[in-house]
Amino acid sequence: MTATVADGPRLHTGRQAAALGRRAVVRFARQPSSWVPATVFPLLLVAVNSSAMGGVANIPGVVPPGTTFLMFLLPAAIVQGVMFGGINGGSELATDIQGGFFDRLVASPVSRPAILVGRLAGAVAFGVVQAVFFQVVLWPFGADVVGGLPGRIVLVVVAGLLSLGLGSIAAGLAARTGQPEAVQGFFPLVFILLFLSSAFFPVQLMSGWYQRVAELNPLTWMVDGMRVQVLEGFSPGAAAVSIGVCLGICALGMLFATRQLQRRLAVAS
Amino acid sequence: MTVAAHRGPETTVVPPWPLVRQVLHRSATSLRRIPAAIIPVIVMPVFFTVAFSGTFRGLTELPGYPTDNIYNWMVPYACLQTASFAALASAFGLGRDLESGFYDRLLLAPAPRWTVPTASVVWAMIRALLPLVITLSLGVVGGMTFPGGVVSAVWWLAVGAFAVAALGSLWGLGVMYRLKRQSAGGLVQIGLFVVMFLSVGTVPLELQEGWLPYVARWNPLTYILDMARCGFVGTCSWSDIWPGLLAIAVSAVLLGWWAERGWRKLVP
Repeated sequence: MTATVADGPRLHTGRQAAALGRRAVVRFARQPSSWVPATVFPLLLVAVNSSAMGGVANIPGVVPPGTTFLMFLLPAAIVQGVMFGGINGGSELATDIQGGFFDRLVASPVSRPAILVGRLAGAVAFGVVQAVFFQVVLWPFGADVVGGLPGRIVLVVVAGLLSLGLGSIAAGLAARTGQPEAVQGFFPLVFILLFLSSAFFPVQLMSGWYQRVAELNPLTWMVDGMRVQVLEGFSPGAAAVSIGVCLGICALGMLFATRQLQRRLAVAS
Repeated sequence: MTVAAHRGPETTVVPPWPLVRQVLHRSATSLRRIPAAIIPVIVMPVFFTVAFSGTFRGLTELPGYPTDNIYNWMVPYACLQTASFAALASAFGLGRDLESGFYDRLLLAPAPRWTVPTASVVWAMIRALLPLVITLSLGVVGGMTFPGGVVSAVWWLAVGAFAVAALGSLWGLGVMYRLKRQSAGGLVQIGLFVVMFLSVGTVPLELQEGWLPYVARWNPLTYILDMARCGFVGTCSWSDIWPGLLAIAVSAVLLGWWAERGWRKLVP
């Protein structure tokens, strides 16, 4: 940012965040390597698993009558895609740090919260778009949402909040390390947590300690809440559980990201 | 074509094995020195074994599932997955060497040039050994059994794992020689993942529905997996083994050709 701009009237924090958010969204959209795997892999996994394990739907109690295993997997596809995208969005901050753009931002009169909010806007926008995209793409193949429009909206809201939560954790890691590779290293951990949940398979068909871990995993509560909207119908209670888990992740993530950003800013100044 | 042919009659071409040995030694040293490189070797086998066996335990309740012990079905799949990761790591290493210019220096070594890609393939196979041992050990701890006999089961599993490491490595060589950068490892990974997913990894062909069995039937990995699993779901018979060996042979020819064409682009 030039001295001329710095000496002029300062933009409101919200407008600064909007400008940085717009930059984040455009930058994200222009890099297919950021969003293509996050879109293709979940679809591939759902397509393969629904075909390979479709017979599981015939086991009594797994899915309600009249529904399919593809419907069972729809929340998993959304969550998996959001995880990819959220972490990629957060790691963009590390790219900004590595490339020197962050230092230029810090040297400008931009509001500090706007740096974080603007960066996370890209992740949230992508999460929302993904949730809509997966529902639209899988719908012709039978992945309907019994909960109708309210149920679909719950899926989108959860996706947006989860993007924000994971994106903020990734942004915190980015602020701490300044290394995109280190942020990407966070993905396997999240993927393992997702595997240790009900995302890909019904918890009632697991057994032993693995089942216990899956039952206690907050991601199971979140996915199950989404699944109720898809398989059984709109349920405000189940939606509240899913959204509550996401808000918890957001609170932890924002706290972590804010602290790490403050730390980096203190070092920079 | 050898280096000697380019350099004139006075250049001496040394035997190939010292160069292969040195490249392998360097790869082993890198594995020890880069902590990030050892994680896939140790962590991924544990993850695959625990996650596949734990998450999909309920599949054994499907009528017609070949075994009632999920470890017997999933551990061979996890072994082959981790072998493919060995190939992926080898491809990433090759990409790094191509980017840094080290590969150019390797090509100047007074040994036949074919030894350089051969070392990559051999390293992938050696690297597959450790996750194979870890995965098998975890399976045994989890309660895996050997209805076809320990020796037969482990032998055919090892053949399958080493074959996947070598074939995956050939795929990686072909991609890396063409794109010449480390980030192309993502493409290698996608190829390996797709082949793994579109096979009989989680359920056998007979229980698959929709479009997947048609694809899986043409996937060579389906037959390599059947061979690798034979001693874990019953007794190994020739009818279990020959399709796997044929799939390895055909894949080796095709992927070898793919790698060789890429090699020719890199070293005309």
